[in-house]
Amino acid sequence: MLLLPKFDYYEPREMSEALKLMSKMKTSAKIIAGGTDVLVNMKKGLISPKSLVNVARISELSDVEPSNGTISIGSGLIVEKLTEFDIIKKKLPILFKAARVLGSPLVRNRATIGGNIVTARPAADLPPALLAVDAKLKLVGAKSSREVSLDKFFIGPGQTVIKPTEILSRIIIKELPPFTGGDYIKLGHRNALEIAIVAVASRITLDSPDGVIKEARIILSAVAPKAIHAVSAEKALKGEKPTAKLFEKVAKLAAGDCAPITDIRGGAEYRRAMVAALTKKTLMNALNEAKGK
Amino acid sequence: MKQIITLTVNKEIYEIAVAPNRTLTQALREDLNLLGTKEGCGIGDCGACTVILDGRPVNSCLILAVQANGSEITTIEGVANGRDLHPLQEAFVEHGAIQCGFCTPGMVLSAKSLIEKNQNPTELEIREALSGNLCRCTGYQKIVEAVKIASENMKK
Ligand SMILES: Cc1cc2nc3c(=O)[nH]c(=O)nc-3n(C[C@H](O)[C@H](O)[C@H](O)COP(=O)(O)OP(=O)(O)OC[C@H]3O[C@@H](n4cnc5c(N)ncnc54)[C@H](O)[C@@H]3O)c2cc1C
Ligand code: FES
Ligand code: FES
Repeated sequence: MLLLPKFDYYEPREMSEALKLMSKMKTSAKIIAGGTDVLVNMKKGLISPKSLVNVARISELSDVEPSNGTISIGSGLIVEKLTEFDIIKKKLPILFKAARVLGSPLVRNRATIGGNIVTARPAADLPPALLAVDAKLKLVGAKSSREVSLDKFFIGPGQTVIKPTEILSRIIIKELPPFTGGDYIKLGHRNALEIAIVAVASRITLDSPDGVIKEARIILSAVAPKAIHAVSAEKALKGEKPTAKLFEKVAKLAAGDCAPITDIRGGAEYRRAMVAALTKKTLMNALNEAKGK
Repeated sequence: MKQIITLTVNKEIYEIAVAPNRTLTQALREDLNLLGTKEGCGIGDCGACTVILDGRPVNSCLILAVQANGSEITTIEGVANGRDLHPLQEAFVEHGAIQCGFCTPGMVLSAKSLIEKNQNPTELEIREALSGNLCRCTGYQKIVEAVKIASENMKK
């Protein structure tokens, strides 16, 4: 049986109390939300915080709030709820799709959206979908708070710009314009409980149902230390009429936009080929969604 | 330092003192002597430790007992009605869905959560609902069939 080392445990009910604890204990303490990463890492002996601060009882962290043109998601919302809320299904279907393939139902019932972001695993499922919709994060400290775009949040595996004294409170997404569609596809060895070998999130916005591409995002995951934009592929889509031929060309560009590695889960060449295949497929699905099909 | 927590397990209220580093699996097995909940991997991969926590199936090996304070929990011991097996348990026994039995408590609890939400689950929905529960013996087919049969029997 894998045992947990000893630690002190705090359970603030208010954000202010949690912030006070974190600014006092700093790096000796770790925040725990769902615990599906923290407790695994502690059991494996990878981390041994002196204290855990459970933020799951701070009620303001686990709601979804639509307000004048934005959707604001509390960091403590469990992943399963992302698949249950109508507003997510309707307004952010790409996030709904990513949430549905994270872990198993058992994991989804504990794992939080905030934990999935701050843990900064290179193959985490929600960040690619959130990057594709230009999500912003609200980071709250004891004295001040700031908003950081998700694009500027990740540094590398397990590393982000959040300070040990800060708490991620909300994930904020501007409502997407009409004629927008997106898709997230993750490739694993089996269907459940699988860390992605390669995953791609694509989002396009058309200027009219039969018009040209106004905005495009293609996010590649598990092929770099953090999820990345397929920069030249995104550029090649802008202002163009969406066709299968264009997507074919763009898929090849996307494969060139990343530098995957070979490891036990897959070879670099295989990964590159899969980036191209998934880019094309997610773009086709995004297009159909954008056209309301 | 130990903390006093309250857990409602299978409709009975328990007050226990636990150290923060004890998991819900440990509290159930060692403090409450409910040995139906198993621990396999301890890290969320196998589902042997599945319990239903406030209406949702979860891995109890990845939950601190103190995190579960105030919650309502169903373990495999709370599934039968006295000496009458739950239709799922009956179907598992009847249709060869149990071999060594180590995965069975978790399988039954995941399946129970599914059937309570969805009275007509398809094979795909059953496989998806059980995807966090590993079985090293049966090859899953008989388990999926047993859940399907139980869901039909429960409508009668
Ligand atoms: C069996 C298993 C399968 C998994 N499969 C997948 C998968 O398929 N895809 C995937 O993406 N992930 C997977 N995971 C990883 C994990 O479940 C997710 O990353 C999950 O979303 C983490 O959320 P949590 O609430 O459990 O985080 P925790 O473990 O509670 O926290 C994770 C990290 O985030 C920090 N943190 C949490 N909340 C905040 C906050 N509000 N402010 C500041 N810091 C915070 C913590 O200090 C910690 O460093 C899996 C895990 C397990 C055990
Ligand atoms: S023991 Fe909990 S998932 Fe394996
Ligand atoms: S019956 Fe042995 S593990 Fe499932």
